[in-house]
Amino acid sequence: MTSTLIETSIYAAISESIQAEAKRILSDGQVSTIVGYAAARRKGSAQPIVITDASDAQKLIFTPACVNNLAVYLTKAKKDIPKKGKIGIVVKGCDMKALTGLMGESQLKREELYLIGVPCAGVLASTFAPSQELTDESLAPKCTECDAHLPTGCDFVPTETPLTPELEKKYAVEIARLEALTPAERWAYWKEQFAKCIKCYACRQVCPFCFCEQCLCDRNKPQMVETTPRPAGNTAWHIVRAMHLAGRCAGCAECERVCPMDIPLNLLNRKMAKELKELYDHEAGFEVTEKGPLTMFNEKDDQSFIK
Amino acid sequence: MHLAQQQHTFEPKIFAFVCTWCTYAGADLAGTSRMQYPSNVRVLKFPCTGRIDPVFILKAFQQGADGVLVSGCHPGDCHYIAGNFHARRRFAVFRKLLEFVGVDLNRLQFSWVSAAEGGKWVEVVTDLTEKVRNMGPMTEFKELAMEEQWSGAINTPELKEAYNAI
Amino acid sequence: MQKYISRQNFTKLLDQLIATGTRVVAPRMNAGTPLYEPLASSAEMVMDQLPRRSAKEAYFPVCEDIMTYEKEGQKVSITDIDPARFPETVLVGVRPCDACAIPVLDAVFSWDYKDEFFLERRRKTTIVGLACTTSDDACFCTAVGLSPADTKGSDLFLTPLEGGGYVCETFSDKGEALINDHTSLFNEPNNATPLPLAQPYTEKFDLKKVKVWLDEHFEDSSWDEIALRCVGCGACAFVCPACHCFDIVDEGTEKAGKRRKNWDACGFWKFTHHASGHNPRDQQPKRYRNRIMHKFKYYDDKFGQTLCTGCGRCIRVCPVGIDIAQIVEEISKK
Repeated sequence: MTSTLIETSIYAAISESIQAEAKRILSDGQVSTIVGYAAARRKGSAQPIVITDASDAQKLIFTPACVNNLAVYLTKAKKDIPKKGKIGIVVKGCDMKALTGLMGESQLKREELYLIGVPCAGVLASTFAPSQELTDESLAPKCTECDAHLPTGCDFVPTETPLTPELEKKYAVEIARLEALTPAERWAYWKEQFAKCIKCYACRQVCPFCFCEQCLCDRNKPQMVETTPRPAGNTAWHIVRAMHLAGRCAGCAECERVCPMDIPLNLLNRKMAKELKELYDHEAGFEVTEKGPLTMFNEKDDQSFIK
Repeated sequence: MHLAQQQHTFEPKIFAFVCTWCTYAGADLAGTSRMQYPSNVRVLKFPCTGRIDPVFILKAFQQGADGVLVSGCHPGDCHYIAGNFHARRRFAVFRKLLEFVGVDLNRLQFSWVSAAEGGKWVEVVTDLTEKVRNMGPMTEFKELAMEEQWSGAINTPELKEAYNAI
Repeated sequence: MQKYISRQNFTKLLDQLIATGTRVVAPRMNAGTPLYEPLASSAEMVMDQLPRRSAKEAYFPVCEDIMTYEKEGQKVSITDIDPARFPETVLVGVRPCDACAIPVLDAVFSWDYKDEFFLERRRKTTIVGLACTTSDDACFCTAVGLSPADTKGSDLFLTPLEGGGYVCETFSDKGEALINDHTSLFNEPNNATPLPLAQPYTEKFDLKKVKVWLDEHFEDSSWDEIALRCVGCGACAFVCPACHCFDIVDEGTEKAGKRRKNWDACGFWKFTHHASGHNPRDQQPKRYRNRIMHKFKYYDDKFGQTLCTGCGRCIRVCPVGIDIAQIVEEISKK
């Protein structure tokens, strides 16, 4: 099967627009800091960068290797970046959804941010080297289901429009496949996946929504989840993680991207999102709402599963 | 009743997480009314179903429960006004997650039992116990608890035996 | 001793070992991820991919029990884990970057305290190294003074030849024993050409200069710059062949449980968290500084060795693209 190239030629023009805008807002003092992407040593690779000087604006880029959700740098537990003044941040559509959620959860204030949106045709999957071309195969699975190629609600968005071919929705297909299995078969599938986990907690650390000062799973009095990286503790950890993100996760898929053991964590999150849509018609990340679906209720909620 | 119970080859362990205001009082009523129900159930009392974290259910299965019951006040009867409404949403979602991970939902029962419903308590507990008894022991989490990462495994025939005995 | 083994005989050797009850650990695919794991048959072995985790877990497990306890009334009974029960293991297809880390770790595990768990597993493990013929731009073994054909740490070292087969060179009694126990599978070396070795492109670092800079710059503004992007997970330490920190936890109920030794990582916020609530490494840059310091200064101070073999795993898995090779290179140029 031959793979289809994804058109990313607009990324160069986008990079230039980001640089110009960053330079402008840093030099006229609109923001004190900008969180964006810069090229890294490995061929084609990129990494997050925090700049405070207008002369560094030229370092900012956007390429298919700009995979990170930079929203993580703004949340409580991980916020070591300078706090004085407004912060500028480069966001893809999927990252914007996380910011929307964080604003709803009172972690961020819109007026303290300057959002530089990126029209995005997609980024690379974690299983491909950063130097790879972007094709329908090397595309990150989340990008096959993207409904936010153009971020909304930003202060600045370059004018380019990405060409986005209709692709098979990878998570939807995989979820349907798993749902069709028997419980025992699903258990076997997840058992194999969770057994690989080494509890490096990369999934938790990159998640914009895992902002607890102390994670429930780090506590030992009482110990709710076994901390040991063995099958039992791993399974409990991943179930708890998925549950705590239900109704909040907007699908940036960072957890899955960073997993050094390739555990398809976003499948759990997408499944939860699907259930919340079906049960309560809720979709995370579209508007700033004070309460999520699991912190409110309707007296008429379904209770067919309760005796 | 007791004689009848002894004939079973498998006695499931059922953990019941109940709210103190309704279901616990309902279970108490069943007791004071001298109603009989399976002794397989171990009742754990909470202030409200809203206090019952999904992690407790997970932990119950890990600690050897074959079935779990969560029970509280009927909608509108919550002592704290809305605790059970919140719980209802949380458990509706949590059971979907457990199902997706491969837990058979027949082992997990939710119910509303008021302080006046001693009879319903007996019915719910008896039904769940019978259902779980027919399904046999919950082996998934117990097997998992016996498993090690290959690197930490040692040659222990006893452990293997214990594992095979599950 | 130098011998030749054909590819066919090599798979036979593994299958014979497996059949006689020896645990053969080699790279294999586990649900899509290459990992060093026990083989059920030689067919499972994957030789062309660098396993995602290093080989250290063969002698430094992800988690292992060190004792179990049971309590009945006031009586507590404790059972130690007997290291005699560790299985005999042959670790096959170990890349030089993994094998070279083993003697480095021996130093710390047999220093003031002899760690019987580590040392006994080491005694029972025969390491069959394999020269690297492929690499990517994250590899930098040559930069830290090693090479894709470094034999340090290997009991037996395989160099792949054109047209299949390997030259086997022994470096210890364990390696010789492996050949002597299966003499019929080995032949005298022929003059087949070895496959070209991998060529990690990075130039050699001046590690002395790096250490001199580190000696003087515990406090330095560049740490903030380097590690501001670090999100504090343990991925780098857990895939590293040389990182060896562990945590001891008791898990179980009041009636019975286990004391376990688990991998730990200096990137975690909890790593230096005191019971009092104080945390001397209260910010991520301080934690990341420790990672660099430990690898290129502290370990050198104590044992005269560098705690990095240039496998590049941490570079590949880092969620935010932190590149240790780039950092060390920049330090060496300061």
